[in-house]
Amino acid sequence: MSVMKITARRLVATTSVAALAASVLLVGGINTANAATAKPVTGGTLYYYTHNEQFPNLDPTRIYTGRDIAFFGSYTTRTLVSYNPVAGPDGASLIPDMATNTGVPSNKAKTWTYTLRPGISWEDGKPVTCADVKYGWSRAFATEVYVEGPTYAIAWLDIPKASDGSSAYKGPYKKTGQALFDKAVTCSKDNRTITFNLARTVPDFNYFMTYPAAGPVPQAKDTGDKYDLHPVSNGPYMIKKYAINDEMVLVRNPNWKKSSDPFRTPYPDDIVVKFGMDEDVRDQIDMEDQIPNGINMDNLQPANVTAFFADPKNKNRRMNNYDPYTSFLAANNSAGHLDCLDVRKAVFFAYDNQSLINLSGGLVYYGEMGDNPVKPVIGIDYAKTTGNIHDANFKIDGNPDYAKTILEKAKTSCPDAYDRATNPDKGLVYYRADTATNKKAAVLVESALQKAGIVIKTVYKPAGTYNANLETYKNETDFLSSGWGADWANASTVIPELWGEGCCNYTKNKKTPEYAGFIKKVNLALVELDRKKQAKMWQELSQYGMDQYWYIRTVFGKSQQTWGSKIGGVYYWYPQGSFGFGQLYVKQ
Amino acid sequence: MLSYVSRRLLYTVILLLIVSLTIFFIFDWIPVDPARLICTKQCSPALVEANRHRLGLDVSVLEQWWRFLVGLFQGRTFGGDGIGVTCAAPALGYSFSRHECVTTIVAQAFPITFSLALGAFILWLSVGVSLGVLSARKKGKFADRAASVFVLVGTSLPTFISGILVVLFIVLKFNLVNPLELGDWHSPFVDPMGWLRTFFFPCATLALAYAATYTRFTRSNVIETSSEDFIRTARAKGLSEKVILRKHTLRAALAPIVTIAGLDFAGLLGGAIITEGIFGLNGLGKLSIKAVTQTYDLPIIVATTLIASAFVLIMNLIVDIAYAFIDPRVRTE
Repeated sequence: MSVMKITARRLVATTSVAALAASVLLVGGINTANAATAKPVTGGTLYYYTHNEQFPNLDPTRIYTGRDIAFFGSYTTRTLVSYNPVAGPDGASLIPDMATNTGVPSNKAKTWTYTLRPGISWEDGKPVTCADVKYGWSRAFATEVYVEGPTYAIAWLDIPKASDGSSAYKGPYKKTGQALFDKAVTCSKDNRTITFNLARTVPDFNYFMTYPAAGPVPQAKDTGDKYDLHPVSNGPYMIKKYAINDEMVLVRNPNWKKSSDPFRTPYPDDIVVKFGMDEDVRDQIDMEDQIPNGINMDNLQPANVTAFFADPKNKNRRMNNYDPYTSFLAANNSAGHLDCLDVRKAVFFAYDNQSLINLSGGLVYYGEMGDNPVKPVIGIDYAKTTGNIHDANFKIDGNPDYAKTILEKAKTSCPDAYDRATNPDKGLVYYRADTATNKKAAVLVESALQKAGIVIKTVYKPAGTYNANLETYKNETDFLSSGWGADWANASTVIPELWGEGCCNYTKNKKTPEYAGFIKKVNLALVELDRKKQAKMWQELSQYGMDQYWYIRTVFGKSQQTWGSKIGGVYYWYPQGSFGFGQLYVKQ
Repeated sequence: MLSYVSRRLLYTVILLLIVSLTIFFIFDWIPVDPARLICTKQCSPALVEANRHRLGLDVSVLEQWWRFLVGLFQGRTFGGDGIGVTCAAPALGYSFSRHECVTTIVAQAFPITFSLALGAFILWLSVGVSLGVLSARKKGKFADRAASVFVLVGTSLPTFISGILVVLFIVLKFNLVNPLELGDWHSPFVDPMGWLRTFFFPCATLALAYAATYTRFTRSNVIETSSEDFIRTARAKGLSEKVILRKHTLRAALAPIVTIAGLDFAGLLGGAIITEGIFGLNGLGKLSIKAVTQTYDLPIIVATTLIASAFVLIMNLIVDIAYAFIDPRVRTE
């Protein structure tokens, strides 16, 4: 089964991670960048092309994918803080962008303060002010207009909740509770320093400041829903044209000043994004280098990626890296499902991961077996776990004999679960999206587990509505596959979301005896100010969950990037899992 | 005739009302929640409800439909929170995925679909009818056999194969069109050469399958008509074969072809999904398929379906009227 295919929407709805050196090492032998050593050239038109018909969003309040944060952050939408635009592990470090520093915490990181650099302007020449940043934050509370973006502003700011659990502040259009928001976010008299008062300690608050949703929006230009078509630029380029299904054209912003922007290097004169290209046409362009000054914004199709990477003449036109996402197969731990550790373990060891990965593109291009919900690209929060795929009995193509020995234990430790798993009249239920690939995958899984005596009942659900129904399905099926990318380089945006109180806990683990102790530690880790100590806590929590086999499998996904022969300055920007867009140039 | 046309138009309106209501019910019935689909990953029940209200899905299906009908005549304001968007009448809805009034979106997509359909229509009729007549007149000879090969190739190659072959091995291989210009819209009235550059190959691809079918159809009709009594009479009266063909055979043989051609053309006006997709043309077909399979954008689905239905119904009417003019036998009846 193609986990990534099944979870496409979920993956798109998530955003990216920061990365550290470990990531580079773990994708050993894979090209991560072309020669970025030549002297960059200014001028020319840089083309991007994609099968997608539009960017999911342009409105800063709505942008929530790493690729788009990187793209717009590099060209049109500056934020208070950014990731360092360099290749390798240094790319994960924060640098001040519109602000003079990466944020000053106080009051146990419940208060954060930023001061704007002088000389930053909007594309109409008006200065970017603290009021603009404050207004940008306020828009997240208008939940009848903006539902796509991150909700950290609502979760963190010190604003009381209404009786229905929503914020007492209803956004800048209704203005209900405006005084509460004005108290939580304040500006200095010179309109350059902004202070955020949070309801709890948030040690990694400054990472959120890399998001456009934490940046400015000029109130006078806010057009509500339609702002998504033409946000005002404060970066080196501005939008000249944006036609969905057609193209976007970016031209130089005459009011952008290099003196106010220490790191952006706008080389091309124009940037054009062509939307809606047929996938075969797009791949043909890459294969034949037909647009030398063009960049493919998508992955090549699996049938073409192997051929492209195998051809040595393309060696300077491609790279293969970890993407920001971890795919996983969650086990339903609730009563009457997979509520027995021995059964979960038996399934884990019987699973034929090799065949499944081969079906989806192989270890080189699709992904590698993971040992953790936290991906190595997150950096210090990742540590190699013990057990699971590192267990001596683990075989990537399945170890049914060992699985049988564990099942034998289950016969006495949890006879009901054992009966469900092995009784041909019952069996474990596996909901899958109804696709051709999934049908092949189902056969592989069923036959692999059958060898260990485990019965799987595959139930196909409509592919188009599968992801939208995960919340319902998680209560009915024994297995649920999905994927996740961290919001930034901290497992605080992974473990609580996937195994704790967050949005996407499909393990149904909350009523298990193990959960109370687990969530207590999660809540402690969330407010831990010592970063090294916090990383250690996340590592222990990862190990704990893996020891419970809350996930039957995890796969660290990979993605491939390709471009034309006249493109220079290419590198993989780990924090966003994308090109480092700002340094790309057209060779003359 | 006037009362006949009026009656048919009234039926058309009633049918369109039924079609639109049916779409609303189907959309409500399918097991997907659009309000959750585009919700942020930290989506809470409160956010889902807020989104449902924004999308106008928090009321009954009948009320949604009624609002749609009212919007057609009065215009409508969409979205909430004190910063809604107003679409002027005839408001077909508002697309929250494209942030645009659906009437505007459809108005942009229609010329593309229309020029693709019309270009293909002209090509397939010219080629199909000419080849069919030639094939009928040269029955059993080389021209007939060559036409049969064309028919075989045209009917056995689905558009998704012929389209890819054309674009990869002709258009791109020989650099006939810059790949970045594929699908660009040039009005044929403003930039006829630009239009020809980007629309010739899609039109030809779309026309191929139709032309093959029409060749076979025309051939059999002409052969069948040629053996009828009134043709024998005309021949007995000493008319030349050319005059018989032009004045008698073709008029009778083409009548059913006009019927089918009209309906085929009308069907294409709803969008040629595959051809538009392969050549990157932003017509109604591409618009509707994305709305159905990816964004579950009800206003776009309703609008594109209604347009497609309206064209089929109206073209049916036109064909019926044209039929009477073309075939003297129908007029007599």
